[in-house]
Amino acid sequence: VTELTLYDDELDDQCYKARLLFGALRRPYRKIAVDVHPGAEQRSAPFLKLNPQATLPILTENDLVLCGAEPILAYLARKYDTTRTWFPDEPETFGRIMQWLAFAVGDLRAASIARANALFECEADATAVHRASRRAFRLMDDHMIKQEFHDAAWFVGGTPTIADIALFPAIALSRDLGVDHDEYPALRRWMRRMRTIPGFITMPGIPAFH
Amino acid sequence: MSFGDGWYPVALAGDIEPGQSAGTRLFDREFCIWRDADGCPHAWEDRCPHRGMRLSFGFVRGDRIACLYHGWQYDTQGRCRFIPAHPDLDVPPTIRVAAYPCLDRLGMLWVYSDATIETPPDLSLEQSGVVPVRSLYIESAPAAVMQLLPPSSKNIGTAGLPLLSIDAEGQHLIAGIQPFGKAKTALHIVLPCAVDNQRSTARSKAAIWAEELRHDLEQEAVSSTASAFSEVAP
Repeated sequence: VTELTLYDDELDDQCYKARLLFGALRRPYRKIAVDVHPGAEQRSAPFLKLNPQATLPILTENDLVLCGAEPILAYLARKYDTTRTWFPDEPETFGRIMQWLAFAVGDLRAASIARANALFECEADATAVHRASRRAFRLMDDHMIKQEFHDAAWFVGGTPTIADIALFPAIALSRDLGVDHDEYPALRRWMRRMRTIPGFITMPGIPAFH
Repeated sequence: MSFGDGWYPVALAGDIEPGQSAGTRLFDREFCIWRDADGCPHAWEDRCPHRGMRLSFGFVRGDRIACLYHGWQYDTQGRCRFIPAHPDLDVPPTIRVAAYPCLDRLGMLWVYSDATIETPPDLSLEQSGVVPVRSLYIESAPAAVMQLLPPSSKNIGTAGLPLLSIDAEGQHLIAGIQPFGKAKTALHIVLPCAVDNQRSTARSKAAIWAEELRHDLEQEAVSSTASAFSEVAP
């Protein structure tokens, strides 16, 4: 039986990326809840066999095991997006999306660390990751301001892509780390647009009402 | 320009859409700014009288804003009208949020900083006729930002209104100044006329200039802090 399986933690911002895309693609999948807090189940022997990095999310399908949100987004979009809009082949668009995916695992990683530090007491230099998070959010807001001048409503072009999915959780959950949305008007507008994507779902910390 | 009680811009008009709320600050005081479904702007103290939750986290339905915490609903006058946990309760009129005078002028949302004033002074600005560029949040004190703006900048606000005319490398811009907090300043930047031709080019050029300005102002803020430290260092 080929079954798409997501090893998932409901409170994890990275897992939420995968759930968001599953929702947008209307793709059924099996979800296995992993006891991350306080169980640290992702560090147990059976999980280390799946993912030696001891991180979530993990996606399995047949013999394939994929770890990390961005590779999972790329795989799901390639395989299950019949519209070919979430991760297009066109080289320029592809390159721009890759740039934002790299940003999501690079600069924006600070926001995940800051949130884990604030909510789950994971170790971090709180001041440094807070500052780095705000720098990343500002860079995103600067980009979206200029996108809107050219009537581009999304991070890359005129339709939502996996870049938007990879960037959304950090800013949508930023209040968890004590960063308000006050200073990011273009991101506020973009977050409202994200909510209009058919199949959009929320997670704890992202209110259903807005 | 002094920063006493008065009218201050707190957002570009289009950045608060009908049915949307956002938080902001004047002199480190928290405000909830929101537009009802008809587009009418409101500026309140950012605190639900029930549990102190920020109302800017709440959601707008029609002409009311509801607190995200327990759903208490407030009308456009700031008066609580409905408490979901007590649906039959006739809510006492004493449950209300302090509302500040708030107006749309010159493509910006303006708030009068004193909620107790009966009749605020006129805000003698055009209602519109500008093209929005962006709001710029600068990690630097309002007074420091004022000192370090391009020398060609002119104060064009009458009666102490914090409004500047700026020559941005040949491009004429208007900026409203928001004294956000002790170490933060916002500039709300617009192009003074409806340039339909090349509109997106003009806005992009102004936005890029603004990013550079922010970079320079924050560099100055860092180096002046550093020199202040070096003065007291042994």
